[in-house]
Amino acid sequence: MTDNIKIPETKQAIPGLSINNNRGLLQWITTVDHKQIGIMYLVVAVIFFLVGGLFALLMRIQLAIPNNHFLSPETYNQLFTMHGTTMIFFVMMPAIFGFSVYFIPLMIGANEMAFPRLNAFSLWMTFFGGFVLYFSFAAGGAPDAGWFNYAPLNEKNYSSSPGIDYYCMGLFLAGIGSITTAINIIVTVLHYRIQGMSLTKLPLFVWMVFVNAFLILGALPSLNAALAMLLLDRQFDAHFFTAPGGGALLWQHLFWLFGHPEVYILILPAFGIYSEVFQVFSGKRIFGYSFVALSAVAIALLSFGVWMHHMFAVGSGTAVNSFFSASSMLIGIPTGIKIFNWLATMYGGNIRFTVSMMFAIAFLVEFTIGGLTGIAFSIVPLDWQLTDTYYVVAHIHYVFIGGSLFGIFSGLFYWFPKLTGRLLSEKAGKWFFWLFVIGFNGTFFIQHILGILGMPRRVYTYPDLPWYGFFNFISSASAMLMGIAFLLLLWMIHSARKHGTASGSDPWDGFTLEWMAASPPGNQNFDRLPVVHSRRPLWDLKHPDNADDE
Amino acid sequence: MLTLLNICLTRRLLQSMLNPSSEQADRIARLFNYFNVAAGGMVLLVSGLTLYICIRFRSKKTTRHIPEQTKGNNKVEALMITVPGILLAFFFYQTVSVMHSVAPEPDHFPPPDVIITGHQFWWEVRYSAAGVTSANEIHLPAGKRVLLELKSADVIHDWWVPALRNKMDLIPGKINHLWLNINKADTYAGVCSEFCGAQHAWMRMNVMATDSTSYRHWLQEEAATALHPADSLSAKGSVIFAAKTCGGCHNISGTASTGQVGPDLTHFASREKMLGGIMPVTEENIYRWLSHPQEIKPGSKMPNFIFSNDTLKALSHYLGQLK
Amino acid sequence: MENKTMIKLVIGTEGIFFLALIMAFVYMAFVSGYEPANLHALNIKLTAVFSCTLFASSGTFWMAEKNYNNSNRKGLLTWLCVTMLLGLIFLGGQAHEYIGLINKEITLSSSLFGTSFFTLTGFHGLHVLIGLIVFGILLVLILLGDFDRPGSSVIACAGMYWHFVDIVWLVVFTVVYVLPVIHVLK
Repeated sequence: MTDNIKIPETKQAIPGLSINNNRGLLQWITTVDHKQIGIMYLVVAVIFFLVGGLFALLMRIQLAIPNNHFLSPETYNQLFTMHGTTMIFFVMMPAIFGFSVYFIPLMIGANEMAFPRLNAFSLWMTFFGGFVLYFSFAAGGAPDAGWFNYAPLNEKNYSSSPGIDYYCMGLFLAGIGSITTAINIIVTVLHYRIQGMSLTKLPLFVWMVFVNAFLILGALPSLNAALAMLLLDRQFDAHFFTAPGGGALLWQHLFWLFGHPEVYILILPAFGIYSEVFQVFSGKRIFGYSFVALSAVAIALLSFGVWMHHMFAVGSGTAVNSFFSASSMLIGIPTGIKIFNWLATMYGGNIRFTVSMMFAIAFLVEFTIGGLTGIAFSIVPLDWQLTDTYYVVAHIHYVFIGGSLFGIFSGLFYWFPKLTGRLLSEKAGKWFFWLFVIGFNGTFFIQHILGILGMPRRVYTYPDLPWYGFFNFISSASAMLMGIAFLLLLWMIHSARKHGTASGSDPWDGFTLEWMAASPPGNQNFDRLPVVHSRRPLWDLKHPDNADDE
Repeated sequence: MLTLLNICLTRRLLQSMLNPSSEQADRIARLFNYFNVAAGGMVLLVSGLTLYICIRFRSKKTTRHIPEQTKGNNKVEALMITVPGILLAFFFYQTVSVMHSVAPEPDHFPPPDVIITGHQFWWEVRYSAAGVTSANEIHLPAGKRVLLELKSADVIHDWWVPALRNKMDLIPGKINHLWLNINKADTYAGVCSEFCGAQHAWMRMNVMATDSTSYRHWLQEEAATALHPADSLSAKGSVIFAAKTCGGCHNISGTASTGQVGPDLTHFASREKMLGGIMPVTEENIYRWLSHPQEIKPGSKMPNFIFSNDTLKALSHYLGQLK
Repeated sequence: MENKTMIKLVIGTEGIFFLALIMAFVYMAFVSGYEPANLHALNIKLTAVFSCTLFASSGTFWMAEKNYNNSNRKGLLTWLCVTMLLGLIFLGGQAHEYIGLINKEITLSSSLFGTSFFTLTGFHGLHVLIGLIVFGILLVLILLGDFDRPGSSVIACAGMYWHFVDIVWLVVFTVVYVLPVIHVLK
């Protein structure tokens, strides 16, 4: 067995400071270590999640009963705008980047990202982007035109507070951070893989994040261009989005040319996490690796050709609508392939119901619901009745929470031992799981019905129509369950760090290289590494007589 | 299930998709039913499989065997592609066919029956042929094919009457069209469905579908100029209306007030609701509104005037008489 | 290798950024309220001359890179300075053009043409400026002796960026100056 082990070849000396000196906060701020940066991304995500979640709960309190006066319309509009913007740009993105920059080097047997300083730069761009966005509260009012910020409502004549200027600058900074991270990820994956790990032998998490990085490079520039134009409009009286006869739609084209790929940017890394989790906790390798891997590429490519399905109600005509209807439906196929391949991976396995696995299994059902309601929006006449109602609110939360956030939770329970050397309590974790899943479905499933009953989205209050008050009250009450569940998670993290069970380097009987490193990994990540022959180097090491044959 | 049943039984669900009431709505409702069956089946399939696999292949703590390391199966993959593919092809065909029937696009649209202009936060309704302008209550003939022209005076709004189904955006600088064949005479509630600012929630409207005789009758009544003040209080109100620059924004036909910024008030009192659906039109409500508009509908374009009690009484009495 | 991959990715993503700006320019040209009369305010011949200096600077930088690979420090310095000079001339030309337009009261806020023209050419100019700053830093590093020996990919990377900025200008020049003229001639 020792023949299969070698000392890793150090590709690059880690620049800057090493982890283990005692400089406290300053050390964290100045670090260029990918593991510390990864953890800081996760901390940023948690902090913003608390704020964004609080906004959501305030909104649900306002909507709990008809004709409520708990929040003023101006406040409500700022809250829902900030809730969406925060959750997408400053919770999901940092959480995904946190896992990516922490685990990509570990999973490909490298000791650092390709550009450690750039890595730190990206983190701080994201952080300051969020800071600038939130500074708007102090500067005279947060942005209030929704997270997709349609023109001309986002222009000075209709939104005179400086909030939207801060929105532009904050998202621009965070966008640059995302682009530099994406570049860093691609270069790392292309040049820092351990010997023997060809691109076709990448762990699926790394593959998904790799594909995703290209998606970021393709999508974010449209947003940045749109934000620059909007800022020129607002600050220097340019006329991009006020132009008569189409300026308003230019914003929608540019925004959704970014916005739809963005939705996949948030889900692909989660697909990667699920792919790892399903394999490890079923004790099997992935069913149909190449189908799972290539369907991600298909999704990425298709995502640039579907943006106008957000605009079926703008009156573009049958020909245009038909094209975008077809392209949007096509995305259902690669997504379906993934769902069924994961089911097939579990089939015949030896399934261990850890909290991580439970979130992955729950995802299968929740994401199927979210995916299918998504198909409803590609069927143009159904989009005409459902778009901009609570049905769409339910849909996006089923894909963002049931898809992306469950993936992040699943990854957190899966990798927490690697991050800290300690296990999160499985017992409390099951409480967290059930509270959150019940709260989530109670909050959002009912919103499908509200949409069908004709409730438009983004209303700060509603008249007392039949059933409206009842359903909204259930939705609000369930949202509180999610809030309680999240506080429980924070307490679990705190207590696991204080006195959690020590995990050892490989608590789950894992397949990929990160489980070779100590928990938490030392400065150089690895003391020893196997020669890689397959997609599951650790499996080969543990079962030399039953090694994979790719 | 019980609740769903209950909802279906609730009579007069004004603003809902559960009672399709136009030809367009019927087509879309049928498609929605197909979709719900297919999607429901898919959810049942995936959750059933998940449940089955989880129970059958759960780890038994006593014996931890190593499962067989299957790699994949191209036949299964082919099945995963073709079955959803066929379903999607069916729905694509349906999409195109329903789109053609709901939203036909002639080379030239005929003159519209009604022109709807979205304002922050109310609906301007104009019947050019009859020379009628109104707000927030859209009278249309039932049982007849009508063409709506939709445009916006400021930001993007969206026309949505759930019972009549199809939405269409009102976009500044762009003219959109919408066909409607309303099946039966009734009142249908509608909303603005694209976020348009502070009072998006109170940009509601009612579509009053009537038979064509009553529709024509209504148009004739609306085309008349405003009633002359019938008593001294409303006469005082009409003088104040003119003097206090109300007419700068609001139009009252037959008087010197010809503003086009706010809703037309010529036959204001003949409407059921005011302020985009916040409250019924009564003298007391008009009084309340005029005394502190920014508390009742914060963010609307109506400025806070400082009026004396008498002025308010006269004004609300006058406006309350404008049948 | 890592540096070259990185710069290729930067170019790719920047390319899409410019694509979005060019799309906006074209979109604006088809929107009512766009005044084609403004096109006559552009001096295509003069701009063509300044464009040539930018295109030439790609060649001179190529010479600089060649000298670097041959360990000819002096040649590297000379050609780099020539490149910077050509870049500066281009920016000067752009400034001259801007002043002329502003004197004719064509500004960012005056019309749809102004909005899209100044934004597109302005962002390109900004990228030229960034290139010049990079060259400035390179110049200092060369003088400090960092590039006495071949083998660093930094010069090649800076070159790839500079060629990219040139190609963008080729597209911008075609879309903004040449195509409308052809269209009018038709």
